[in-house]
Amino acid sequence: MNEMDRSLFALREMDELAAGDTPVHRLCPAAKLLTTIAYIAAVVSFGKYQLGGLLVLIMYPALLFSLSGVPVSTCFRKLRFVLPLVLAVGLFNPLFDRAPLLNVGGVAVSGGVVSMVTLMVKGVLCLTASFLLAATTPIDALCAALRQFRVPSLLVTLLLLTYRYVGVMTEELSVMTDAYRLRAPGQKGLHVSAWGSFLGQLLLRSADRAEELYGSMLLRGFRGEFTYAAGRPWTCRDTVWFAVWTALFVLCRVFDVAGLLGALLTGGMR
Amino acid sequence: MHMADALLAPAVAATMYAASGVTAGVSVHQLRRDDEVQKLPTMAVTAALVFAGQMINYTIPGTGSSGHMCGGMMLSALLGPFAGFLSMIVILAVQCLFFADGGLMALGANVWNMAFYGCFVGYFLIWRPIMKSGWFGGDTPRARRLRVIVASVIGCVVTLQLGAFSVVLETSLSGITELPFGAFVALMQPIHLAIGLVEGLVTAAVLVFVLESRPELLRDVGHASGAAGRSLKSTLAVLAVVAVLVGGGLSLLASSNPDGLEWALFGNEEAGYSQNMGLDEEDFGVDSKAADTAASIQDATSFLPDYAFPDSDSAAGTTVSGLVGGAIVAGIAVVISLAGGFFRRKRSAA
Amino acid sequence: MIRFDDVSVAYEKGATVLKNVSFAVEAGETVGLIGANGAGKTTLMRALLGLVGHEGSLTVDGLEVTKKNLPEIRRKLGFVLQNSDNQMFMPTVYEDMIFGPLNYGLSRAETDARVDAVLERLGLTDLKHRHNHKLSGGEKRMAAIATVLAMEPEVLLMDEPTSALDPRNRRLMIETIRTLPGAKVITSHDLDMIWDTCGRVILLSGGTVVADGPAQTILRDRELLEAHGMELPLRLAGL
Repeated sequence: MNEMDRSLFALREMDELAAGDTPVHRLCPAAKLLTTIAYIAAVVSFGKYQLGGLLVLIMYPALLFSLSGVPVSTCFRKLRFVLPLVLAVGLFNPLFDRAPLLNVGGVAVSGGVVSMVTLMVKGVLCLTASFLLAATTPIDALCAALRQFRVPSLLVTLLLLTYRYVGVMTEELSVMTDAYRLRAPGQKGLHVSAWGSFLGQLLLRSADRAEELYGSMLLRGFRGEFTYAAGRPWTCRDTVWFAVWTALFVLCRVFDVAGLLGALLTGGMR
Repeated sequence: MHMADALLAPAVAATMYAASGVTAGVSVHQLRRDDEVQKLPTMAVTAALVFAGQMINYTIPGTGSSGHMCGGMMLSALLGPFAGFLSMIVILAVQCLFFADGGLMALGANVWNMAFYGCFVGYFLIWRPIMKSGWFGGDTPRARRLRVIVASVIGCVVTLQLGAFSVVLETSLSGITELPFGAFVALMQPIHLAIGLVEGLVTAAVLVFVLESRPELLRDVGHASGAAGRSLKSTLAVLAVVAVLVGGGLSLLASSNPDGLEWALFGNEEAGYSQNMGLDEEDFGVDSKAADTAASIQDATSFLPDYAFPDSDSAAGTTVSGLVGGAIVAGIAVVISLAGGFFRRKRSAA
Repeated sequence: MIRFDDVSVAYEKGATVLKNVSFAVEAGETVGLIGANGAGKTTLMRALLGLVGHEGSLTVDGLEVTKKNLPEIRRKLGFVLQNSDNQMFMPTVYEDMIFGPLNYGLSRAETDARVDAVLERLGLTDLKHRHNHKLSGGEKRMAAIATVLAMEPEVLLMDEPTSALDPRNRRLMIETIRTLPGAKVITSHDLDMIWDTCGRVILLSGGTVVADGPAQTILRDRELLEAHGMELPLRLAGL
């Protein structure tokens, strides 16, 4: 399986997940988008040492995973894209921030370690939120939400059209890559002599394809406008969803829910 | 270079979204105005192609390691800056949503770091001036080829440097990392220099191929004026680059010495000069309500108080300001060149 | 319905691709357009659709194919491309089907009615809300036909409709073509399909019409076919 095949698989996987039919899938995409943004904003706004308060917010993705039936493993497989840079940045924290911050059962934990863990938790939480959004909302529904938010139709149409052809182009490139490998044993990637012509050939063919595509649009009377099917309307269920979650996020941000809970459990010992 | 949400503070993310949003709005407006909506099929297919093409593994000769291509320069050479910018937004959006490559809230920043520089700085300040100049011998095929190569390499290196630096800036401004600014820069820039070089060479290879087969697909491959007709834009480009270098370099040199002017006016107590103009820094200035209001507004709006980052003591803060100043100069240069084109078109339409 | 009168097409590079082509297709006829690769079949269709310039007189229902008449002409002609990916560009089949009628000013209600009618006639109702990028090759081809039929064209142009289809889908395609109303011009290398669907065949070679007559006559003429880079249909080849 070459890299393009893997990404085709990933695309198909997300497509299949988004085509599900659970209460979460049935929500208005605009509501899901807004709630996701509120969540990410809440997570990111926590200070660099506020690990406890942050951990409380795990309830959102946890609940969503269970309500929507989306497998957690699929999400965590995507971590490999985001975590490297986050890790690279956070890994230096323990080195530069050595002042002890906590005392966990007799072991002094430096501020740097706490901030590193906080950073990584933030990374994971944000990723799960946007993953859940994409896994429960098909692209055309998401674009309907964007149009509702007055994102220029040109951009939204471009997104839909591009998405339509991403699979086609990736497939072609996958076939080309395999064909290349069959005649280049031992080579890991493109030899410099093929750097220009490999993608270049596809580019030229794509120019022809784009022309044919444009032609078929013209043949059906295209004058610049696209009309889409009506999306899911915003119902009061969506209002409740958005309002309740946002209120919870704000609550967790403002009050130290984790601290309260911890104090209760540890009998006031801090 | 895709940033995760966790690396940004909400304020920084929002600012970058605003910046990218405005640029996107301008691009949409420009495309509609130039009646280039019909290029949608080409934009979509090319964007899809670049998306797929980012996965191609290019073996770097002699090293055994491999590189990949991002595509900002290539898109703007094929589609122009505005269409290219919108196409990059779409590519980044698909990567964010379906591959978790880059965060949703960080999308604005990612668009800015990877698309803005590649499409606008790369096109207006590097690609177009070089392609329209008569470098390497006028309008011969060989000259054109060399110009494509040079423009691609310089374009990719510069835009990737700017992008990497922006990542450092945004992360530092968000107070996410304990890594000192200088160290962060020293880490990011060299890596992206290497990446930029590889990307530049790959882009050059592909664009030269297109140039030889179907030159009409590339922008600004036409009748190039001679050396004497070197466009205003290329001069501005050189000026902008120089401004950035000078701003950065000189600021470093200035290091912890107070500004020359300050020194002259208020003396440098530590160095023993307190007799320059005998002015007391605190008492200097007009004493008025307006001045107080202005001072408080300035306090509130300046995000680089005293030329340093919040909570950081490093001298790198000064360098950043110098570079920021330089980047602003570059930005003004871009605006001027855009405005120049705009007014020229208005005049010819009249 | 369609009239080619001494039509020639030359691309900018100087090569003349069609030379003095003359023929007519009347309403209700099904014509097969055959010829070796490079004979000019696709160019002929593109000239008819106004996608490439031509010399000579080319009319559709009396209207000359000029830039001014293109919108009206394109409403009358439906074109099913060989590569359905280049034709089905909206997210779902439904949205692709409404694209044409809405562009030509039909109301949403009328369009929806047409869409449902066409899908039912072709037995494709379950494809209505499917995503285009998830369809199989055969499904896409059928969806493309449905999309074109939603425009209610008077002439249907089909470019290699059975290429890359498995035997079952191919058979389904042949059955479908036979039920489609109106004039049809079909380009194909699949001579057996042409045999099953077309009453008349035009043989193009080197940009000129070398034969124009009943399908059963031309497709039985081994010498004629082989002289122009073709062979007898498989059913006649003694297999």
